[in-house]
Amino acid sequence: MKTFNPDAMGEKLLRRFAGRTSRRSILSRLGLALVAAPAFPLLPVSRANAAKPDRSPEAKTNFARNAQSADDTKCTYWRYCAIDGSLCSCCGGAVNRCPPGAEHSPVSWVGTCINPDDGRAYLIAYRDCCGKAYCNKCDCDGTDRETQLYVPQLNNDVIWCFGTTSMEYHCSTAVLVGTA
Amino acid sequence: MMKVQGKSSLSAKARHTAAAVCALALLGTAGAASAADPLQPDPELEAVTLSAPKPSWVFVERGFVVSGNSIYDTDTGKMLGMVEASTLSDLALDPAGKAYYVSESIWTKGWRGTRQDMITVYDAATLKLKTEITMPGRILIGGRKYNFVIADAGKTAYVYNLDPASSVNVVDLAKGKFVKKIELPGCASLMPVTGVGFSALCSDGSLATVKTAAAKPEITRSAPFFSATNDPIFDNFGYDGAKQQAVFLTYTGQVYTAKLGATPTISEPFSIQTAAGVSPADTKPLDVHWYPGARQGLAYHLATGHAFVLMHMGEYWTHKAPGTEIWELDVAAKKVIKRIPLEEAANSVTVTQEANAKLVLSTEGGTLLILDAKTGAEKFKLEKSGGGVLRTLEP
Repeated sequence: MKTFNPDAMGEKLLRRFAGRTSRRSILSRLGLALVAAPAFPLLPVSRANAAKPDRSPEAKTNFARNAQSADDTKCTYWRYCAIDGSLCSCCGGAVNRCPPGAEHSPVSWVGTCINPDDGRAYLIAYRDCCGKAYCNKCDCDGTDRETQLYVPQLNNDVIWCFGTTSMEYHCSTAVLVGTA
Repeated sequence: MMKVQGKSSLSAKARHTAAAVCALALLGTAGAASAADPLQPDPELEAVTLSAPKPSWVFVERGFVVSGNSIYDTDTGKMLGMVEASTLSDLALDPAGKAYYVSESIWTKGWRGTRQDMITVYDAATLKLKTEITMPGRILIGGRKYNFVIADAGKTAYVYNLDPASSVNVVDLAKGKFVKKIELPGCASLMPVTGVGFSALCSDGSLATVKTAAAKPEITRSAPFFSATNDPIFDNFGYDGAKQQAVFLTYTGQVYTAKLGATPTISEPFSIQTAAGVSPADTKPLDVHWYPGARQGLAYHLATGHAFVLMHMGEYWTHKAPGTEIWELDVAAKKVIKRIPLEEAANSVTVTQEANAKLVLSTEGGTLLILDAKTGAEKFKLEKSGGGVLRTLEP
């Protein structure tokens, strides 16, 4: 399929990481990277499918055709194409921020969602907020390009509260990483 | 508040009964004395015990919010008891019928404090705690059948871990000891392979086979045969330990059979839709078609080799949508022999391994449905009894 390129997604994440990392913090981040690295298995380097993706309505998923950009407390909000769980924006947090007292997981699963306003695909990091009981409000389950456990970084059932003080799942955010 | 009201209304009833008995005694009615003898107090209370598990039983993992595994008898529709379990745990049945195993993670202070991972062993008759087998970490996820599997006729357990590196704990159940941890990069969903170890599905589209006995476990991979990102195989596939065979189903409805072993062989796929006489489904958007899906969307009846698959109408990437029909697929004959429409869409399906098999479904609304697999007729409809993974006893 032309619309999905996990290799490019990995590259985007790494570039973002490099751009935001100072030398001073590299040692602490390196530890995290070492822990997180196995979640990103060695993907086959394939440039064969790097052609410009088809963004016509005919090529969009059902979710992308019905996505909106006005209300991030609804499951149809465009960034939620592969989210699973309670929306933090309904639980006292925001689309990209945890509710008070909850802790952002430093690692996440990812999705590639199309913004209905500009038609571009963006890489979204679904970072769980951890350390409080399940919010259980605005439960959504976007499944665009969501796969199974053997590709964990694209699976939205895993409790992604790794590297946090508590592994208790509270809600999920959808952090925009960049264009896909 | 409701409980208090209930209690006081009971006492009121008891008072009325007592008054009626007194009235009868005062009237001196013949025979009233023996009828008025008070009920004997209950004997010393003892909890009910269970027989060894039966093929008609189903074990219902109650889900993400409420933990525990409820046991129902599909012959009677009655709940028999519950195997205690913490949130996001996994249940496995001892093939000898003597114990229930729960792979779980708890912390010393609720969700705080020191993490403890273990296999908790419960006696099958009393459902009381027998022992705990300490092990390293395990994955926290719901709804998967193959993260905790029993091998070697009940002697060994394999426990999948993601932290977020992936590995497998090997546990000796006979000795009650953790043996070793095997790194398993890029693979998950474990199938015991007799005399070898286990196999697992991998992100490169291959099937990995791990020889566990050697000091340094040997991992070999088949040639890639499916696309893990464009048409993935569902984690909850069919597995036959005795025949050493697995039945894999992809999001579009491609069916593969794998003969497991040191060097597994994987069949050419066929389309479940073609097997039902309709056109095959693909990955293109806007192509509304019958697709397989749900949380636990495939049940495999071992004696007949028939798979029962939850199907729904939709577009591609709707693989978690609940099923509105069950398709009974004769895997060897590559033919869908029956389609059972469901009144309420279902998230999970399993089948009892009886000659007169029953289908057990957990619906969207949390109802447990028990159907006759031959006719599709409803035998029991148990409200508020559904949940996550459904398990039955396998021969």
